[in-house]
Amino acid sequence: MLEATNLTKRYNGVTALDALNLSVAAGEVFCLLGANGAGKTTTINLFLNFVAPTTGSARINGLDVVEQPLETKKYLAYIPEMVMLYRNLTGLENLEYFSALAGRPDYTREQLLGFFNDVGLAADAAHRRVGIYSKGMRQKVGIAIALAKNAKALLLDEPTSGLDPKAANEFSALLTTLSAAGVAVLMATHDLFRAKESGTRVGIMKHGKLVATLNTSDLGHADLERIYLEHMHD
Amino acid sequence: MLRRIARHEWRMLFAEHAPWVVAALLAASTGYAVLNGLNWTSFQVATIEKALDEEAERYIGLKQQVTAIESGQMRAPFADPRMPDMAGGRLAPRYAAMPPLPLAALSIGQSDVLPYYFKVSTASRESVLTTNEIENPHRLLHGRFDLSFVIIYLFPLLIIGLSYNLLSLEKEQGTLALLLSQPVPLSTYVAGKIGVRAALVVLLVVMFSITGIAVGGVDVTPGGTLLRLAVWTGVVAAYGGFWFGVVLLATSFGRSSATNALSLATVWLLLVVVLPSTLNTAVAALYPVPSRVDMIAAVRVASDQASAKGNTLLAKYYGDHPEFVAGSDIEKAINDVAITRLAIDDEIEERVRPVVDRYDTQLARQQGLVDRFRLLSPAIVAQDALNDLAGTGSARFAHFVRRVEAFHRDWRARFASMIVQKQRLSAAMYDDIPHFTYQDEPLGAVVVRAGVALLLLLGAGLVLGAIGINRLRRYPIAG
Repeated sequence: MLEATNLTKRYNGVTALDALNLSVAAGEVFCLLGANGAGKTTTINLFLNFVAPTTGSARINGLDVVEQPLETKKYLAYIPEMVMLYRNLTGLENLEYFSALAGRPDYTREQLLGFFNDVGLAADAAHRRVGIYSKGMRQKVGIAIALAKNAKALLLDEPTSGLDPKAANEFSALLTTLSAAGVAVLMATHDLFRAKESGTRVGIMKHGKLVATLNTSDLGHADLERIYLEHMHD
Repeated sequence: MLRRIARHEWRMLFAEHAPWVVAALLAASTGYAVLNGLNWTSFQVATIEKALDEEAERYIGLKQQVTAIESGQMRAPFADPRMPDMAGGRLAPRYAAMPPLPLAALSIGQSDVLPYYFKVSTASRESVLTTNEIENPHRLLHGRFDLSFVIIYLFPLLIIGLSYNLLSLEKEQGTLALLLSQPVPLSTYVAGKIGVRAALVVLLVVMFSITGIAVGGVDVTPGGTLLRLAVWTGVVAAYGGFWFGVVLLATSFGRSSATNALSLATVWLLLVVVLPSTLNTAVAALYPVPSRVDMIAAVRVASDQASAKGNTLLAKYYGDHPEFVAGSDIEKAINDVAITRLAIDDEIEERVRPVVDRYDTQLARQQGLVDRFRLLSPAIVAQDALNDLAGTGSARFAHFVRRVEAFHRDWRARFASMIVQKQRLSAAMYDDIPHFTYQDEPLGAVVVRAGVALLLLLGAGLVLGAIGINRLRRYPIAG
């Protein structure tokens, strides 16, 4: 579903991402690990076509994101580190607007409230203005937007950083549900524990290169941390 | 999709109370401006009416005098209304007035600086009619607070205030990434955002202007008024369009809201304030107009010299026209005075001519320079078009002056021939003294000039907007 082929991005001669080859199939949760500046966010921005690749290509559902920027976004949902919504609108109104933009203007109120229920947000929260939402609630609205869009691929950029353990746990559970439903998930994260818990594979990035790819089922928590730290040493 | 975005944008604006603020600002400023304009035009109308009343009463009095003198009830005074030199010069001058058009209240232009009526007599052209300095760009700085001031100055500021953070706000509040992860191009969002804002301000400006006109009781029935109003509205919309083009271009650079606000305010300052006044200063420095005081002094000197030469001039005049020498001594003496006056006026005109010509040449050069460089500032283009449509522009004034000049020439020729033919005016002849009737230049010419301005503004806006839209493809979303 998500496929990077020799994907490279250089900014003024500095290589942010170096010939990334990566494929995330439907139902997989691929966690990108690495220090700040390792190229995780660049990878996500390249899939979103927010930045143009220097060489190589990023494909979603077989379509090149540069050649078909709008078509590929139909399959795609994105959850940034901070899901920012329109503060003056209620959660429901935000969901309604983003669904309409995603090409689903036809949802009934009940259906939209159903998505709130699916991500564990109470119905009365849906009617409150987003300005008073906690970060955990906003991240859940992000998932609700992805659900409503019926996205085939989900890109997440450190979505659980700053969440309390309970909220992070709930969020990870939602990811597991999504992958069970056949969504391909690519998540950049610093949270080794969450990566092991909800990821099916992890990739370790360093200086723009993917230096290791591991199956989480083969690893214990301690193993992952040890391997990660080994790679971080120069 | 565009409609959905526009609806959302409308809600966002309302959540910030923006439409109410814009409406309140526009209602107050357009209301006050239209009121101000109506005050001025009704003053003009009243002044012209008063002048014509005075003229009518004066004529009745003169005719009564003539009848009384002819029937022997009254001795002929020194200022004998039967004498053509007295009638044509001092007693029976007529007013030549250019009444304001119904829409003049919308754009006062230079009509508060330039004369709108003249007292036409046999006096020299210069004492009847002295053209004023053209302060075309200057009045952009010091105009009355009229509706065109609101449109030229305030309207762009409202547009900038509403849209300086068109996309930067989305970027700064973090919603842009989420918007652009949807299958909707950035240009569609921008089109929706600009569309809503343009509809809001343009509709409000037009609505309040028309409400002001309606409440102020402007008569729109005279021919062409509605067409002028329609083109006026078009020019306002095109001027707004130009500013939205500027906003779009500024937006496309992807800078922060603060940077956008600052750069847009700078552009406003340059185009609306600095450029017109620089142009004015440059024009005055390059082609200085001889001072009005010099001109008036020249007329005085010429008139003194000509008067001193009176007898020589009279002899010369008789030399040229020997047929007028015959007659009784008394009659000849009376006629001598009149003919001397006529000759003196000719002489003054002759002597002042070089000064006037220099004055006119410099003014023409100034206007030429302004015409060439006015295209640099959309504010000047729009202001000129609005004045033109309201009938307060330089073209209508020049047209008026030409007509008054023609009327003055006829007047002098008519009375000069009466003087040399030793005619005496009867009461009935007073009725035959021609009136000045102002006839406007053809509406088509005005509409064409304003139409060109409209297209220029629209074209400039479209070009800027197109460059902006094109640049949006490289809009920095991340990093």
